[in-house]
Amino acid sequence: MTPTLISHHTTTGVPLSWYLALSGVLFLLGLLGVLTRRNPLLLLLAVELMLNSANIALVGFSRYWNVSDGQIFALVVMVVAAAEVVIGLGLIVAVYRQRLALDVDALSRLKG
Amino acid sequence: MIETLAWIVLGLPLAGALLLSLWPGEPARPLTRIVGLGTIVLGFIGSAVMFAELLSRGASNRHVVSTLWEWANVDGLRINLSILVDPLSMMMMLIITGVGSLIVLYSTEYMNHDRDYRRFFAEMNFFIFAMLLLVLAANFFFLVVGWALVGLASYLLIGYYYEKPSAVAAAKKAFVINVIGDVGLVLGALLIAKTFGTLDYGQVFAAAPARLGHGSFTAEMICLLLFVGCAAKSAQIPLHTWLPDAMEGPTPVSALIHAETMVTAGVYLIVRCNVLFQLAPYASDTVAVVGAATLLVGASIATVQEDIKRVLAWSTVSQIGYMVMAAGLGLYSEAMFHLLMHAFFKALLFLAAGVVIHALAGEQGLNRMGGLHRHLKFASISMLIGCLAISGIPPFSGFFSKDDILSHAMAAGPVGVVVGTAGVIGAGLTGFYMFRMFFRAFTGPEPDGGYEHRPHMSGWAMAVPVGILGVLATVGGFIQVPGGWSWVNTWLSPSLPAAPDIAPSATLQWITTLVSLAVALSGIAVAYWLFAAGPARRLAYADTLRGLRGVLLDQWRFDDIYESAIIEPGRELGDAAVRTAEPRFTQGLVTAATGVTMVTARGLHRMQTGLVRTYAFAVVAGAAVVGLIVVLAR
Repeated sequence: MTPTLISHHTTTGVPLSWYLALSGVLFLLGLLGVLTRRNPLLLLLAVELMLNSANIALVGFSRYWNVSDGQIFALVVMVVAAAEVVIGLGLIVAVYRQRLALDVDALSRLKG
Repeated sequence: MIETLAWIVLGLPLAGALLLSLWPGEPARPLTRIVGLGTIVLGFIGSAVMFAELLSRGASNRHVVSTLWEWANVDGLRINLSILVDPLSMMMMLIITGVGSLIVLYSTEYMNHDRDYRRFFAEMNFFIFAMLLLVLAANFFFLVVGWALVGLASYLLIGYYYEKPSAVAAAKKAFVINVIGDVGLVLGALLIAKTFGTLDYGQVFAAAPARLGHGSFTAEMICLLLFVGCAAKSAQIPLHTWLPDAMEGPTPVSALIHAETMVTAGVYLIVRCNVLFQLAPYASDTVAVVGAATLLVGASIATVQEDIKRVLAWSTVSQIGYMVMAAGLGLYSEAMFHLLMHAFFKALLFLAAGVVIHALAGEQGLNRMGGLHRHLKFASISMLIGCLAISGIPPFSGFFSKDDILSHAMAAGPVGVVVGTAGVIGAGLTGFYMFRMFFRAFTGPEPDGGYEHRPHMSGWAMAVPVGILGVLATVGGFIQVPGGWSWVNTWLSPSLPAAPDIAPSATLQWITTLVSLAVALSGIAVAYWLFAAGPARRLAYADTLRGLRGVLLDQWRFDDIYESAIIEPGRELGDAAVRTAEPRFTQGLVTAATGVTMVTARGLHRMQTGLVRTYAFAVVAGAAVVGLIVVLAR
């Protein structure tokens, strides 16, 4: 987005509430995925979904207030998400190599 | 000068006790003797100097209070570390240090075979310090401190032979009964503190007539509570059962503590608080009646005792009954006079008995004695003097003091006449049982088989005190002759501001004297007839009055009553507690606490499923709750 002086509440443009609604729906879908999926890969996918929904919210707010902070923060979030996925996938490959089932319900050796 | 001397006399025995107890290892015998005896002899010299100094002053100038520092200042109640030297405490000091030094000198030889020589003298010094503190205290606080310390010293000395279970039990019994008395004494002191706002003698006694009023409930309660303390310490009914058992201690201990100092502390207290007791007629009457009852019970039990020391123990109970009775009637200086005479002749009797026991290598039973006059003439004559004195035969000391009490009692109102009559009967019993002891031990045939080793007389350290006391017991009474002079009364009168003016007429005095003398002589005559004239006669009469004899041998069943009414229920309570209360309550509480912890832990343990999804859900749920709170809080 160009840092031009566009005033708030432009009637031409997507309203903020739509951004937030989309972000909320995606967040809840990701949450649903986290809570119900048994495959660790799909679990990571759902977590990614949640992170990206946060990104959408950030961008929406950035557009609304006409500053670039939100967008830059969204880039940072993407970096963090990438690092996290690297580690997560590394863990999953390690589990697979141990011939353990890729099922988070079965991976419960830390059961108290 | 008197003040410094008083503190020195008080502090020396304490220093001696500390030095002897803290000495590493067992010190050499001569050193123990010098320290143990020296502190008390120096104390006596100091007391004598103070006495001379007080005599040189006028009669109105003999009240000296010396304060070292303020001990406590709590909520307006001020207690000072102060001592009071006045005629009454001076008299007690002379008795304690004087007779005390004679007895400690005696024990340097008597205890010579003992392994724990140093412990004995340390404990004796501690006792003398505590007793001096008791009589020198200028307020009720230090009186109670001295009172309690004297009880401790008594416990230590009765239980001196701690390897004997009977001695340990006797020491425990003495201490427990003394504590009962202490409770009464402390409650009395608390009541005084509450009523007067101070514990100082001078302030209390000055304010008493106005603040308490004659015959008020507070006055009666204070005096009754103080008397509970006196009854325990002076072995009056019903708190007297510890004294005969206290004979388990060595003979010098019996002489010093249980014959003429500690047991007279109760009498001292009543005399000191004469102002209070005069404001409480019912309490005073109770005191007199208890004294008279004790007198009779003690004398009756002494008639059947088989142990020479037990006869003397019960006679002490009885004689203190005389003193307490007199104090209850308001005859304070007469009570103190008898206290002084009793100190002489009772110490004489105990020490002479100790000579006999020492000569017979520890034998104390009367049926293992007989005809000792042949072997131990000195002891025999000393015992005879003592028996004559205690029976009240002129010109020996006991006659003057006992006669003083009885004739004044007869002039002290109806209560006085009743208790005075009891006193006269007691005089007869006293003559009987004392001479029963004398005749059985010293006259008549030797016991079957004779004596194993020839009874030998002791050395000078034991003979000199006995001799001095014999002289005192003979002529001591002449310091107060009825119809002549009364030095004891004159000396003590500044300390007895409230003493009522009871003066028997000359006729009454003569009648009482003659009657009590006749009764005493007839008691002696019966004893002579039964035990000396025909020694086998006593066996012939051994079976008469068996029921009465049984009761007397059981000591009027006081111990049995206490055993069944107090001790047994106590033991049952303890057993019940162990059997039921402990498993159910204390143990149950602990088990319940552990059980609850376990159940909670098991419940919480279910949270740790090890499943990622559960933990994720927990995070989400927590976040949702926080968010809800934030939103709702707006």
